[in-house]
Amino acid sequence: MRQTGQVPILRVAGVLLVAIQVDLGDTVATALQEDVLEAIARTGSTGLLIDVTGLEMVDSFVARVLVDTGRMARLMGTETVIVGLRPEVAGTLVRMGFDVSEVQAALDIDEGLERLGCKVVRRGAD
Amino acid sequence: MRPEDAIDRLQLDEREVRRRRDYFQVTDEDLARLASHRDLATRHNDEVIEALYQFILGHPESRAFFPDAATVARVKQLQRRYFLGLFQGRCDPAYAEDRVRVGATHETIRMPARLYMGAYAVYLELIRAMFERELEPAAARAAYASAQRLVAFDMALAMDTYVAAAEDTIVRHQAAVRELSTPVIRVFDRILLLPLVGTIDTARAQQVMETLLTRVAEEQARVVIIDISGVPVVDTKVAEHMIMTTNAVRLLGAKTVVAGISPVVAKTIVQLGISLTALETRGRLQDAITLALELTGRAPAGRQA
Repeated sequence: MRQTGQVPILRVAGVLLVAIQVDLGDTVATALQEDVLEAIARTGSTGLLIDVTGLEMVDSFVARVLVDTGRMARLMGTETVIVGLRPEVAGTLVRMGFDVSEVQAALDIDEGLERLGCKVVRRGAD
Repeated sequence: MRPEDAIDRLQLDEREVRRRRDYFQVTDEDLARLASHRDLATRHNDEVIEALYQFILGHPESRAFFPDAATVARVKQLQRRYFLGLFQGRCDPAYAEDRVRVGATHETIRMPARLYMGAYAVYLELIRAMFERELEPAAARAAYASAQRLVAFDMALAMDTYVAAAEDTIVRHQAAVRELSTPVIRVFDRILLLPLVGTIDTARAQQVMETLLTRVAEEQARVVIIDISGVPVVDTKVAEHMIMTTNAVRLLGAKTVVAGISPVVAKTIVQLGISLTALETRGRLQDAITLALELTGRAPAGRQA
């Protein structure tokens, strides 16, 4: 059974925003990859922001799916930034020997958007 | 080390005692043979212990551990019980625990292992003399051989107690060092500095990474400066750890700058064929901070044309 459509893909300021709020099972992760690629094809967005703040755990399969999605998106001319990785998760991925050299990451959605060339008006000094 | 802790650490259950007995070849016949001489041992108990303490107290170095008559009386009483323990005809967990207790007591008063083991040698000699005086040559030889095996079993437990105590100390110190070893300092808004001092092994590298990642998330840092000028040796492993940490930091959306690369370290890294091109490196901490300020979009202070 296809599990597409479980994770909403929003379009914000010319960028696709995928906010993952639930732990991803293998099938959902694979379906999400398809959904994202289709959305890129449909909208022609040049940026993809994957927010994983809601993920407590990222196993190697899900990590691979996310990284692969980024590479596939790049082939289609879309830049990907992952935001909100937890420190434990980042540590685990690196220790597992996961190649993260191609992954772009940012602290939060604001910075992710900036990284993708969107203009973000911040409150307060900086 | 407290005797209970030592007993706990050596895990002297039925199986472990059996394993040790097999190794020292302490057989049931040995135990039965020694038990058959229990009366003899009881008769000579005082005399053997007196002779043993004559040796121990006659030696200035070991005498220092028995400061007063009351202590001497107390340990002699313990030794008498210990001596008779050899002739009880059993060698089970309870027996082993009793032996560890004696070892732990000596370790607690910080008696050097060599003095302790030296006393054992004298002790064995006294046991041999006792058997030779009282038994037929063949019986004396057999009895002594049995005692030797059981005493060797005891000595191993005493040694293991010393080793366990030493290991415990190391573990405690490691914990203390760990607590002190990862000071993450916020030098500017969203710029963190981690000065590393001392040797980096795998356990420490892991701990450094965890602490650093947590702080990066907490402080919403954009740049992390790792100053390695205090790390004496930078080898392949240390480089690997730095690359891993950099990668993990990057996954959180921050950049890493490694500072404190001395000429010697630079030379070693190149000669070892380590590629650090994935890392931003700077020689001086000052330059690393300048770079960090640039990376966070701030003109470094004090830069003049």
